[in-house]
Amino acid sequence: MAGTTPSENHLTDRTVIDGRSTNIVSLDGIPIGPTWHGRYLLGADENGRDLAVRLLYGTRTTLMIGGGAVLLTLLLSVPLAFAAGYLGGRTDALISRLLDLLWSFPALLVGVLLSTAISLNGAQIGPITIRSGSKLIPLVVIGLVYVPYMTRPLRGQVMALRGQPFIEAARAGGMRPVSVMVSELLPHLWTTVIVVSTLLFVNAVVLEAALSFLGAGVNPPEPSLGVLIAAGLNDAVLSPHLLLAPSIALIVIVLSLSGLAEGLRRALDPRGALDLGLVREP
Amino acid sequence: MIGYATRRLAAALVTAWVASIVAFVLFWTIPNVDPAYWLGGAEKGNDATRALATEKYGLDDPLPVQYVRLMRSILNGDIECFYNCGSLREVFFDALPVTISLVAGAGLIAVGLGVWLAMICVRHRQRWQDRLITTAATAAYSVPSLVLAALLWAFVSYRWGLFPREGYVPLRENPWEWAKHLLLPWIASALPFAGAYVHVVRGALLDTVDEDWVRTARAKGLSEKQVIRRHVLRNGLIPSVNIWGLDFSHAFGGFVLYVEVIFGLPGVGALTADTLGSFDLPPIVALAVYLAIVVVFFSALVDVIVAWLDPRLRRPGPST
Repeated sequence: MAGTTPSENHLTDRTVIDGRSTNIVSLDGIPIGPTWHGRYLLGADENGRDLAVRLLYGTRTTLMIGGGAVLLTLLLSVPLAFAAGYLGGRTDALISRLLDLLWSFPALLVGVLLSTAISLNGAQIGPITIRSGSKLIPLVVIGLVYVPYMTRPLRGQVMALRGQPFIEAARAGGMRPVSVMVSELLPHLWTTVIVVSTLLFVNAVVLEAALSFLGAGVNPPEPSLGVLIAAGLNDAVLSPHLLLAPSIALIVIVLSLSGLAEGLRRALDPRGALDLGLVREP
Repeated sequence: MIGYATRRLAAALVTAWVASIVAFVLFWTIPNVDPAYWLGGAEKGNDATRALATEKYGLDDPLPVQYVRLMRSILNGDIECFYNCGSLREVFFDALPVTISLVAGAGLIAVGLGVWLAMICVRHRQRWQDRLITTAATAAYSVPSLVLAALLWAFVSYRWGLFPREGYVPLRENPWEWAKHLLLPWIASALPFAGAYVHVVRGALLDTVDEDWVRTARAKGLSEKQVIRRHVLRNGLIPSVNIWGLDFSHAFGGFVLYVEVIFGLPGVGALTADTLGSFDLPPIVALAVYLAIVVVFFSALVDVIVAWLDPRLRRPGPST
């Protein structure tokens, strides 16, 4: 597999297939299909780039964006859920209204619009500068889009726990709100956090593919699953491997991650008590 | 009922209005987006073109003035679509029937297939039919519609040429061609949802199948088929209708985007994808506003239908 990078072109190189030297990209511009050997395991694309290498790097990008996005969602939603559920009153009303607003629009549309807005001239969030074309754009966008999906179940749980005697005891003992949240409430939320995070991870991977497919995510030639599917679509007649390989990779990832999410849900929430309020957007 | 519908539509209008402000802020005023730069020809522009754009769009005016002017021109249809094909509002309304055909067909297929298969599951619960269908549903649910659409288009319509490669024929002109152009997009968008609905509906039906009134229905001699159709299904469908409504009102900014691009359907999804790629600010804001209106309108419509089906939901209260 080694010996090339995901964006290195081998347009005029030759390789040996079945003992015969073959052009990697034929004179008509048709790349070789899968060789099932170390080099060009899954074939090449129209620039002579090794598809297997691109697929591995692309999958890494997709998974890193998905994982980073879920972490960002967690970082934002846990404080929001605490503020809304524990403080209640106007804070709750304000946060819930804002999240409902975001919730009432489809994730892909919000993602595409946000991503375009950031791509126009980059964005500056505190000390972090995001340049146009950066892989951080899909990460931040996906992370923001899923905040309501995580905050809703957490807020509900915080509200239910707030009236419990052990919280009252902690407050009577003179604990400040922040300490109550961190040391009394947070341990009860882990189940929800783990279950919802895995579900959102599946969503985030699929959303990354859709955003990149529409040109609002990872930018080619940098590979990601969405980029590879978009690129493979038009060459499907002459080189079906270009579309099949990333599609199968995405299906396998989604299948295994949803299996993991379902298993975790059954193990951690056997009675189905969690109100997840979330159906994956296929 | 009418009171509920009015309240729900009013809430939808407020949501759309707030969304228009967000779109305006996002594309017109945040410091990193300089409208003068993009309206003045982007990288091809110079100081003169930027000054001209500032003059033409009144970018030196106070922001509320700019907001009102932009929204007025969006609602009047004065915004030009990005490849100078005239008023964006008309282009949008021409594209809307395509998308409504796609979404309505996919929604009907998803819910019909889901409910039908779930009924088979419940009638043969814990037997091989049940296991086969739930396994197939999980498999269908795990194939993202993006991948399904790409594979169906690339192989069935492009490589094997069994269906048209692109385009759309209105229903009134030729229903047969209409269905032929839309069949693959329908399948691609509906199958994953149908897989999800099999699980949701099956769970809901299994919850009702042991209720007392169902036993009574069996005791009075109805066949199992009639019991499920007349007594179990009606009560079991309520939770499913809610999810279905949310999924398919969101479809207008969801799967239609890539499904229309892949199958070359000239609907609002393809229009949005084209416009966003153009980096032309007024059409982008206009499309965001139009899509927001369509999405909140269909969500409201779905909520009203659900409330009509289940009167318990009609009581006043927070609804988004």
